[in-house]
Amino acid sequence: MALTGFKRLVGRHTEIGILLIAALLIAYFSASSDGRWANAYNIGTILQVTATLGLMTLGVALVIGTGEIDISVGSTFGMGALVYLWLALRVDPTLAVLAALAVGALIGAFNGLVITRTGTPSLIVTLGTLMIFRGLAIALTDGFSFSIPYASRGKFTYWLFGGGDIMGINTAIIWLVLALVILMLVLGATRFGNRLLAVGGSAASAHSRGVRVDRVKLAAFIICGMLASFGGALEAGKLGFADGSMGRLMELQAIASCVLGGCLLAGGQVSLVGALTGVFVLSSIQSYLVVMGVRPQWFMLLLGVIVVGAALGDRVLRQWAIRR
Amino acid sequence: MASTTTPLIQVKNLHLYFGAFHALKDVSVDFRAGELIGLVGDNGAGKTTLIRVLCGIHTPSSGEVWFDGRKVEKFHPKLAIDEGIETIQQSVGLCDNLSIARNFYLGREPVKRILGIPILDFALMREKSTKVIREFGLRDNVSADDEVERLSGGERQSVKIGRAVEFKNRVVIMDEPTNHLSVREREHVNELAVSLKEQGLLVIYITHDIFQVHKLADRIVIMENGEKIEDASTHTMSAEALEEVIRQGGRKVTKKEPV
Amino acid sequence: MKQFVRSQSFGAVIGVTVMLIAFTVIDFSGWWNRSTLANVVQFSAILGLVAMGQALVIMTKEIDLSVGSVYGLTGVAFITLEPKLGVPGSTLAALAIAAAIGAFQGLVVVRGKLPSMIVTLAGLFAARGVIYVWTGGTVQNFSEAARNNWLTGLLGGQIFGIEAAIFWMVGLCLVLNVLLWGTRYGNRLLATGGSLDSAESRGVRTDHVKILAFMLCSLLAGFAGILTLADRPQTHVTLGDLMELEAIASAVIGGCLLTGGRGSLVGAVLGAFIIVSFRYELIALGAPSSWFTTFVGIVLIVAVIFNQYLARRAGHSV
Repeated sequence: MALTGFKRLVGRHTEIGILLIAALLIAYFSASSDGRWANAYNIGTILQVTATLGLMTLGVALVIGTGEIDISVGSTFGMGALVYLWLALRVDPTLAVLAALAVGALIGAFNGLVITRTGTPSLIVTLGTLMIFRGLAIALTDGFSFSIPYASRGKFTYWLFGGGDIMGINTAIIWLVLALVILMLVLGATRFGNRLLAVGGSAASAHSRGVRVDRVKLAAFIICGMLASFGGALEAGKLGFADGSMGRLMELQAIASCVLGGCLLAGGQVSLVGALTGVFVLSSIQSYLVVMGVRPQWFMLLLGVIVVGAALGDRVLRQWAIRR
Repeated sequence: MASTTTPLIQVKNLHLYFGAFHALKDVSVDFRAGELIGLVGDNGAGKTTLIRVLCGIHTPSSGEVWFDGRKVEKFHPKLAIDEGIETIQQSVGLCDNLSIARNFYLGREPVKRILGIPILDFALMREKSTKVIREFGLRDNVSADDEVERLSGGERQSVKIGRAVEFKNRVVIMDEPTNHLSVREREHVNELAVSLKEQGLLVIYITHDIFQVHKLADRIVIMENGEKIEDASTHTMSAEALEEVIRQGGRKVTKKEPV
Repeated sequence: MKQFVRSQSFGAVIGVTVMLIAFTVIDFSGWWNRSTLANVVQFSAILGLVAMGQALVIMTKEIDLSVGSVYGLTGVAFITLEPKLGVPGSTLAALAIAAAIGAFQGLVVVRGKLPSMIVTLAGLFAARGVIYVWTGGTVQNFSEAARNNWLTGLLGGQIFGIEAAIFWMVGLCLVLNVLLWGTRYGNRLLATGGSLDSAESRGVRTDHVKILAFMLCSLLAGFAGILTLADRPQTHVTLGDLMELEAIASAVIGGCLLTGGRGSLVGAVLGAFIIVSFRYELIALGAPSSWFTTFVGIVLIVAVIFNQYLARRAGHSV
């Protein structure tokens, strides 16, 4: 009886798989690391990584929900970081964050407009913007230095955007929670959220019901760009400097997190909590390897194995749940 | 008709369960070569399930299927194709991106050995498929090298039917072949179905539309709720009478205890 | 003529023509000289091999993001295994590794019913991870004897004064074109990408078709890696980094549609030529090397829109 109930739970909630994986990993990591993994400092580090990658992942999850994909987020993240660092020192961190958000929105709008106006596949267009802004970031950091000296890191606004801790946890995590709550409300309780999922489920049906598919997709890309560059700004606030490769390969981790968290690449099904759990799992594994003294070279190999393993496991679990 | 010969397909006391669901209930039916059979019934009546058994997609839970005087022991789609049983469906069967000639031979392409390497025999593919598309009434400006994308819905059905004839299939199952077709195209496809029968093939024509198929068929088989409820020659029963059977069948079922 | 205009590589041919005219007009620093051209053509040949494999996979309506890592890993295997197996042995072993990666990825995609983007993304990480773990970040080199081996010369040397890679690319391009357009496998590959259900209804084993396409793609990427390292036998951990993006860009510039079933191998090679030429022209113009990435991105977006337009004009539904 408990099994049937569990089955129904898995069938309804796609994020159950990743939550189970996360719970198992936490238990295993805590037990096997002799307290080196499960301590406040390390958890704080994990959460900080989760926060910046998580913001990006939330945006990617929305775009995946519409049935498209955005792989340019890694470069958008880098651009957000550079814009923030450039302006935070010269003007003010608050303005710098706003500028970073604007740049992210512009990149997202460009992606969205090209995709919806010309009907080109989003994978190719965002692959193009990924390269465009990666090249730009490297070119910019070649000639200029992007860093904030320690002396000028004292301001409250600097602290607020990733540059400080609150009770041992980086302030970025506050922003992540805020973004999660807002987006969950938007997805669950607004017209836009309903339409977003409808567009991903069946663009033709949504169109026939008068939903402006193009606008919904465009909005998803803009939000995605903003979240990615915001994540970049927070990361830059934490580190205080950035180079041209900032955010590289993060797009892949974000997409992997979404899939692990139960978002369908075909669209129409989004789990924000699941996607964030996916991020947490990836950053936990990374930190576990670090604290256990495993050579960092192993991380990429294990990441690959875990992504496929988890995707397969998740699929098996879900097929089991829908079987009579 | 050839009702004295042994049936090409004999279905005997067929039962099929999907888990607890009883999809086919004691179905027995004979199909003879040179017959055009209308298989009629509502959605969920079991007609597609029956066809899927004949195509080797489902294996029956109990009962027997005899093909050409031999008992069928193994059910597999590949075996059915090899035996010459072909299903023509509306949306599946042709790849838009390939030419008519390439589609025609997809899955059993003829090859010529050049330096020992099997290379597609384009001349043969083009020649044979050109002959067939002319016979089956495609527009004159369509050539075998054109992509299928250019064809209308009726022309696509014609290519599929022509292909079935060309490969000497013995059974052609047409699953709602005239859905989404214009009136003239529907007539053309129906004419082709009759001509297949006249060439000695067994044609099983699945439809909802009893009046349309009554004009073509020799026999009508009606399915309802997984059972065969009528099997009558079109000479002895009118379309109206058969339609009444479908209605009755529906009522009879609702009177039974709920499943 | 009409056939040619409707073909998938038409856009790439226009692109190459426009590019060559443009480079001739704005030629500040001698793009048209032998050493530049030899370099451009050699690297086009290597990227072209990877791009052709990518094109085959894209035509089955899948994608392979792992080619850059497979390129690197196969190259590393070629160099690292040489002391034990000799040059011919390490060549075969390295190609076997590439084929195994392709087969495994294809198998997971087909049997696990997972999106190829996720599976090959994991392959990208895993193969790159193996490079890091295997080499430990160190640089490996060929011995003097291995450098002088006949096979090293055949793979990476010069034949009649022309880089060997070019001969390999031309030969493989011919073979693959025959395979794609003239054999049963090719017909079934195009059918699988065009309409999976229809292909299966004709008895085509689409799972086998896809697995073989992934294997061919990995083999080509791996072989390109071997050609590169036979020419300059020195490994580094970032070998082939970002190459998957360049390969996908080449295939798309060359007219492969992500909707599957349509594409061109010659187009993919021309796409690779465009991308490599841009790199050299930017270097010749004195731009920082990072601008190259930006330009490839721009070229990619422009090319895909242009090809989309051509395909619609030809009456394809894309």
